[in-house]
Amino acid sequence: MTAMSWAARPAGDAEVIQLSLDEAERFGAIFNTYFGEIHRFAVQRLGADHAEDIVAETFLTAFRKRARYDPSRATVRTWLYGIATNLIGKHRRLEVRTLRALGRYGHDPDAPGHDDRVAAVVSAEVLRPSLAAAIAGLHQRDRDVLLLVALAGLSHEEIATALGIPYGTVASRLNRARKKLRVTLGDTNPMLEAEEAGRG
Amino acid sequence: MDDLQPIRDLYGEPEADPILKARVRERLAAEPRRRSRFSWKVAVAGLAAAAVAAAVTVTVTVTVTMPGLLGEGTPPAEVATISGRSILLAAASTAAGTSSSGAYWRVRKLHRQTHPERLGTGENRYWLVESRVTEQWVARDGRIWSGSRALGARPRGAADEAAWRRDGSPAEWSSRGEVLSVSAAKGEVRRITGKVPFSMAGRETTFEEIQRLPADPAALTDVVAETVRQERADSPEGVLADALSGLLWSKPTPPDVRAAAYRALADLPGVRYLGTSADQRGRPGAAFSFDLQGSIRRTLIIDPASSQVLSATITGTPGGVDDRVEVVLEAGWTDDRPAVPDLP
Repeated sequence: MTAMSWAARPAGDAEVIQLSLDEAERFGAIFNTYFGEIHRFAVQRLGADHAEDIVAETFLTAFRKRARYDPSRATVRTWLYGIATNLIGKHRRLEVRTLRALGRYGHDPDAPGHDDRVAAVVSAEVLRPSLAAAIAGLHQRDRDVLLLVALAGLSHEEIATALGIPYGTVASRLNRARKKLRVTLGDTNPMLEAEEAGRG
Repeated sequence: MDDLQPIRDLYGEPEADPILKARVRERLAAEPRRRSRFSWKVAVAGLAAAAVAAAVTVTVTVTVTMPGLLGEGTPPAEVATISGRSILLAAASTAAGTSSSGAYWRVRKLHRQTHPERLGTGENRYWLVESRVTEQWVARDGRIWSGSRALGARPRGAADEAAWRRDGSPAEWSSRGEVLSVSAAKGEVRRITGKVPFSMAGRETTFEEIQRLPADPAALTDVVAETVRQERADSPEGVLADALSGLLWSKPTPPDVRAAAYRALADLPGVRYLGTSADQRGRPGAAFSFDLQGSIRRTLIIDPASSQVLSATITGTPGGVDDRVEVVLEAGWTDDRPAVPDLP
């Protein structure tokens, strides 16, 4: 965890990108700051074995295209998630396979002593296979938006800039994804109900 | 945004991987320059030292267990009786006299799970049950090892067995991207880093915290109930009972605290005695159950003579999900070194 505040970050990053046009080594700081979360996002979506290629390609693409990066449109973080999402989108079948495995085992299920988180774990385990199948059944475009919200924590506006789509499209894709998850999971599922209000 | 929590839970939190980071950095540095007059070699120079320092804390993610879904074993019939309390109190007395010396806390469990896809060809389709033994080792300084060994898959019932024979009695299957075999695997044991070894009522709990728990039943109940409250469980009573029962077998609980946990359970109104029963290995014991949440129920089979928990089962999960049975083959202190699990 960096102690740096988020407010300070984006402007600083944009400046680093700018400086890296003349001094390439400056870009190393971007790699250093964001490797962790971009890698995590890639592992979550495609599994550990394939994440390495995705994350390498993401930073290489960013490095090559850094002259075209526009700080007035997106933060560096958002921009990197956009690149990663596009690369991940080329591996739809792998993502579906990864989801199937997640549905069965989840990530790292055998941490000692975790038998106790019963209420939470039980409901998560009940949901897991059907939730994974439901996410696998989403259209790629809808899944991209859903996971940028759920896993990367991006706002609607950030997703719009990351994927280069209108703001309204983000909202409609997200709504469609949520609706499908609700239909699939039916009423065994306390999740995904509260939403809708409070999101601008 | 809490409605998305189940999605985050599904995907989990992959561990950071500093060695991978260093490797990707090298890969990028090795990229040909192409049209750029800059190279990654320059871009990433100077970060190597940081990578070496970070690599010391590298973590290994282990994905071993199956979540133990299972469709066998008959839940004992419910018998209302007052002797349940005396059985728990007897177990408490035994627990107070158990040993807690040894270098490692070890829990060895047997998991069985029906493979989620029917296998076979043509008319001959059958369900397979996969078995696995897992071991968790925790040293007194908090180091953790996790061992796992597949025991081989078998047809689930008589009809499945007949279909399997008609199918030519195959010894291996390929299903869902993995290979299932009738034979036991070699197994593995791995050091786990970056994790707190235990959890109680959903909160991460260290070895020291467990050693500091009070040995008075009422005080212990208060501490655990406070944890449950802070973790904001949906059904606090069920979680309280389950967290107390976890102290009986899934943690290196000091003997007097284990005794207190048995006494605390004896006083909880939701804990029902179901009568004598046997676990899936046929070991006899006394069955107790409590509701966890909605129709979901935990059943424990304990051996009052040794105070050991023999099995812990979750039943009543909606959606046709199999029961989840954990058979506790062993839970206690040992001077053995962490190793690949033996066959049971």
